[in-house]
Amino acid sequence: MTQARPLSPAVARPAHVTDAVTYDFDMFADEAYVKNPHDRILDLHKNAPPVFWTPRNGGHWMLLSHKANFDASRDVETFSSEVIPQAQVQAMLAQRPPGSPHFPQPWPINIDPPLHTMHRAPLQKAFSPKAIMALKDSIRELAGELIDAMKPAGTAEFVSAVAEPLPVQVFLKMFGLPVERQQEYRQVVKEHMESISVSDPRAVMMRMLKITAIMRDTLLDRKENPKDDIISMLWQTEIDGKPMGMDEMENFCVVLFAAGLDTVVNGISLGARHLADHPELQRELRADPTLISAATEEMLRRYTFTVPPRRVNKDTEFHGVTMKAGDKVMLFLPGADLDSREYANPEQYQLKRETVHIAFGAGPHRCLGSHLARVELNVVYEEMLARLPEFRLASDKEVRYHGGHVVGPDELWLSWN
Amino acid sequence: MKIRIEKASCVGNARCAAVAPQLFPLDDDGYIAVSEIDVPPGQEQLARRGARACPERIIVVEEDAPDGTP
Ligand code: HEM
Ligand code: SF4
Repeated sequence: MTQARPLSPAVARPAHVTDAVTYDFDMFADEAYVKNPHDRILDLHKNAPPVFWTPRNGGHWMLLSHKANFDASRDVETFSSEVIPQAQVQAMLAQRPPGSPHFPQPWPINIDPPLHTMHRAPLQKAFSPKAIMALKDSIRELAGELIDAMKPAGTAEFVSAVAEPLPVQVFLKMFGLPVERQQEYRQVVKEHMESISVSDPRAVMMRMLKITAIMRDTLLDRKENPKDDIISMLWQTEIDGKPMGMDEMENFCVVLFAAGLDTVVNGISLGARHLADHPELQRELRADPTLISAATEEMLRRYTFTVPPRRVNKDTEFHGVTMKAGDKVMLFLPGADLDSREYANPEQYQLKRETVHIAFGAGPHRCLGSHLARVELNVVYEEMLARLPEFRLASDKEVRYHGGHVVGPDELWLSWN
Repeated sequence: MKIRIEKASCVGNARCAAVAPQLFPLDDDGYIAVSEIDVPPGQEQLARRGARACPERIIVVEEDAPDGTP
């Protein structure tokens, strides 16, 4: 449970930032935002500039408009994913005593092309639409078990009952890791996601090492004894013509853990909250389940929830503001998908919209796991609607949210008769 | 009707194929496999929808001239 977090101290505005493009918004602790994130975003669209600078959390740009997010995501030369430049990381690592253990990094999410292209390629096939379709039945089985288990009580805290265990168990299955260690993995991922906001490189490093320590035995075993899992599959691939090594395997484990769990947890929960609040939508989807995939897409647009960071790589004029090399930028994708310049009546959830959103990002870093994520989301909604009677938000419990890089409910109490 | 795709900019969303799998072939990684498609008569509407579905906006539909010449 996250405690209400105090506002971070405001830093002084740098000379190149004008008053007109400054707006005070703490993406972790803004009071209205953590009370109801997406309502607050609609309010930002009315009150804040389309690209603004906030003095909170060390001072950074926020890209609010759809166009700014789209353009910046695809301009990887100006907007680097290396929040700390790799050259700097490598220089730091070079100072460690010889024989220090490999320091795992979440490649390819925090590196730029051409290195990015090389390290993303091996993962592609494992997460392609075809590979993921093959998993659909087992994901459905897992979702069904979790929903049936919470059903008899007539009420449940949905995040811990379904939204958290589902992606974790899907992962353990895909990776071929022992299910007994589930809590251990989940705990490390939780710590990791919460720490991303705090710029304490040592703590981040410790956490990455923890993840790889948990996985090491399985990694080594699958190299010698390949099975039908992703680890075995990745051992068979190459990077830039060279055979896969243990260091690269550790990097893959770290990025998949960091990017593929908390995202799905929050996405499932935001969608379930909307369904619980809209019995008429539940009725429509129960009557025609073929509409559920369109419903999922509109959920992803209406409640987009990830905020990837960037570093300005060179001085630039961007959408009317002056940015300097080294400035921090947030791709505020939840803002992009609620932009009225892009979507008519963005606040309305419209099943009939032909939704094209950027909840999974755009450009070369576009979510590698989107096909898996879509299957998980669709299957959960399908099974909830099929197995539960009409469900609603529990009347005596308020939904509480967290802000940050992955936005969503901390707790979500649902009830049904 | 023809479809042109800026293939080098494809990032593998596979949204085009989600609309019309037979029109938009993907490679094994889930990226678009071709850069040009001849749309069979009768499938124009589907082709337009597939093009609109691309989040990267790299699919361009070239409508036939009104007199029917391609
Ligand atoms: C609904 C759930 C999800 C959402 C909304 C989401 C969103 C995103 C976004 C916005 C990015 C781009 C980050 C950036 O530009 O810096 C991204 C990247 C990534 N995602 Fe997801 N994601 C989800 C689920 C998953 C899953 C299930 C996986 C597991 C395989 C995954 C793996 C990745 C990886 C590896 C990257 C980095 C790709 C790269 O840098 O080339 N994601 N995701
Ligand atoms: S929708 Fe666009 S980006 Fe996606 S696979 Fe098709 S062409 Fe590529």
